[in-house]
Amino acid sequence: MSTGLVDNWLNTDTFGPIYPFVGTEVMLAIVGIAFWIIWHIWQIKKENAEFKKDIENINKMGGPGKVLDQEARREMEDSVGG
Amino acid sequence: MDNELTALGIIFTEFYYWVTVVFMFLIHVGFCVYEVGASRYKNHTHTLMKNTMVIPLVTVTFFFFGWWIYFAFVNGPWIIGPLVDAPFATPWSELMGAHMGGAPVQDTLTGDDTAFWARINGVFWAAFLLFSWTAASIVSGAVIERIRPSAFWILAVVIGSFTWIIDAAWGWSWNGWMVQKLGYHDAYASGVIHAIAGGFALGVLLVLGPRIGKFAADGTPRNINPHNPWLVTVGLFLIYTGFWGFYVACNIPIIDIYGSAMLDVADKTYFSATNIYLQPTTLSAITFNFLMSLSGGLMVAYIVSDGDAFWTYSGGLAGVIGASSGNDLYHPIQAMLIGGGGAFLAYKMHYWVENRFKIDDAVGAVAVHGYAGFYGIVMAGFMLWGYPSSPFEGYAAISPWGNFIGALIMFFVLGFFPALIVSKILHGLGMLRIPREIELVGLDINHEMQRQIDADEVARAIRQEAG
Repeated sequence: MSTGLVDNWLNTDTFGPIYPFVGTEVMLAIVGIAFWIIWHIWQIKKENAEFKKDIENINKMGGPGKVLDQEARREMEDSVGG
Repeated sequence: MDNELTALGIIFTEFYYWVTVVFMFLIHVGFCVYEVGASRYKNHTHTLMKNTMVIPLVTVTFFFFGWWIYFAFVNGPWIIGPLVDAPFATPWSELMGAHMGGAPVQDTLTGDDTAFWARINGVFWAAFLLFSWTAASIVSGAVIERIRPSAFWILAVVIGSFTWIIDAAWGWSWNGWMVQKLGYHDAYASGVIHAIAGGFALGVLLVLGPRIGKFAADGTPRNINPHNPWLVTVGLFLIYTGFWGFYVACNIPIIDIYGSAMLDVADKTYFSATNIYLQPTTLSAITFNFLMSLSGGLMVAYIVSDGDAFWTYSGGLAGVIGASSGNDLYHPIQAMLIGGGGAFLAYKMHYWVENRFKIDDAVGAVAVHGYAGFYGIVMAGFMLWGYPSSPFEGYAAISPWGNFIGALIMFFVLGFFPALIVSKILHGLGMLRIPREIELVGLDINHEMQRQIDADEVARAIRQEAG
C-alpha cells in the first residue's frame, strides 16, 4: 500500500509514473495555474501599497528635491565621519 | 533499458542536457550582476529582484503552457496545418514528472511516448526554459530604473513563455513551418532568442520612455554611467561562460541520422551530433566558430569604442550573436569576420537610434541582441544560400529572402509588436512606469530609509556602550 503506483522496486523496468497520487494531474495543473495568477494579483497589490507609502514618505520629507538634498548631505557626513 | 549501449546513449543524452542547464544558469547570474552594475545605487535592490523573479515566473508558466506550445504550434497553427497533438508536454501529462518509461497510465499516451520521453522530457524542457529566461533577461536590462516590476514580470511571461517559444516552434525545430516553407536557418539562435528579445525590448522602450535626465531639453543624450563598470564586465564574462551551455544545448548530442524514426534511410547508419534541424554538426565546429566570432566581435568593438570596457565586452557578445545563425557551418575565419560586423553594427546602431529616436536603452540590449541578431540571420541567408535547410525532402533551401523574412518575423512580428501592444495596455492601465517622485529619489527609497533608521539605532547603541 502506498500513495503512488510503487509498492516495491523489483519491477522498475515496468514502472511508469513514480510520483505520488497519480491521477490528480489535472487538479494539480489547475491549482498550480491558480497559484501563479493569484501571485501576480497579490504582488500588484503589494507594489501599489509600497509605492503609495513611498510617495507619502517623500511628501512628508518635503518632496523629491528635499529627499535628494538630505541623501547628499548624509553621504557627505558619512564620507567625512560627521 | 536492458542493453548497456542503449542505456549509455539515453543516459548520456539526459546528462548532456542537464550539464547545459547548469552552464546556462550562469547567463542569468551574469545578467543579474550586469544589471546591478549598470543601475544606480538607489535602484539596486529593485533591479536585482526584477531579474531574479524572472526565474520562478517564467519557469512555472513554461511548465504550464510554454513547453506544450513548442510542439503544438509548429504549423502556426493554421499557417500550414492545424495544432499538433503533444500529450507528453501538457502540464497534466504523466511525462511532466518522474517517470521510468514503462507503460503509460494516461490513455492519451503510447508506450513509445513513455519510452522516448521519460528520461529526456525534464532536461529538454529545462534547456529550453533557460533560453526563456535569457529572452526575458535581455529585455530586463534595457528597461531598468523606471519600469514597474509587476509590469516587467507580465512582459517577461509574454516573451519567456509565449512569443519566443512560438518562434522556436516555427523556426527552430525540425518540422517548423518556417523551416519547411522558407528554408529558415538559425542554428544557434541569432533570431529565435536575440532578435526577438531585442525587438521586444524596443517595443517596450517605445512606450516606456527614457529615464528622467537621460536627454537634455534639446534632445541631446546624456551618459548615465554604470554605478560599477567592473561588475558590468564581470556580468558579461559570466554571460560568455554560460553561452557555452547555450550553444551545446542547441544540439542533439548523439543520434543515428539515417536510422532515426523521422528520416529512416534503409541500410545506412551514421551516428553524429546534429543541430536542432537534425543536420549533422560537431562540437568541434561550433567551438571553433564560437571562439572566432567572439574574437572578431571583441576586436572590432575595442577599436570602434576606443577601448571602452562596456562596449568591448558587449561587442564580443554581439560578435557571437551576429554569427550564431550559421555557426554550425561557417569556416572559423568567416565566423570571425561576420562576428566583427555584428559588433560594428551594434555599436553604431545603438548611438544612431539613441540620437535619432531618443530611445533610452540602458544597456544596449536592443543593439547587441536585436540588431546584431537580425544581421546574423540575414548574413546566414547569404552565406549558406542553396544549402538544404533540413535532411528531409520537400523543405525549401536556405536563401537570403527566406532568412530575411524570418528575421522580420523574429524582430517585428513576434518581438516588437507583441511588446508594443502589451506595453500600451499596461500603460493605459497606469501599470507600466513607476511614479515620477519615486523615479527621482530611487526605487529603493523605502529600503534605504529603513537601512538608515537601523544604522542610526546601532550607532546610538554603540555610542552608549562606549560611555
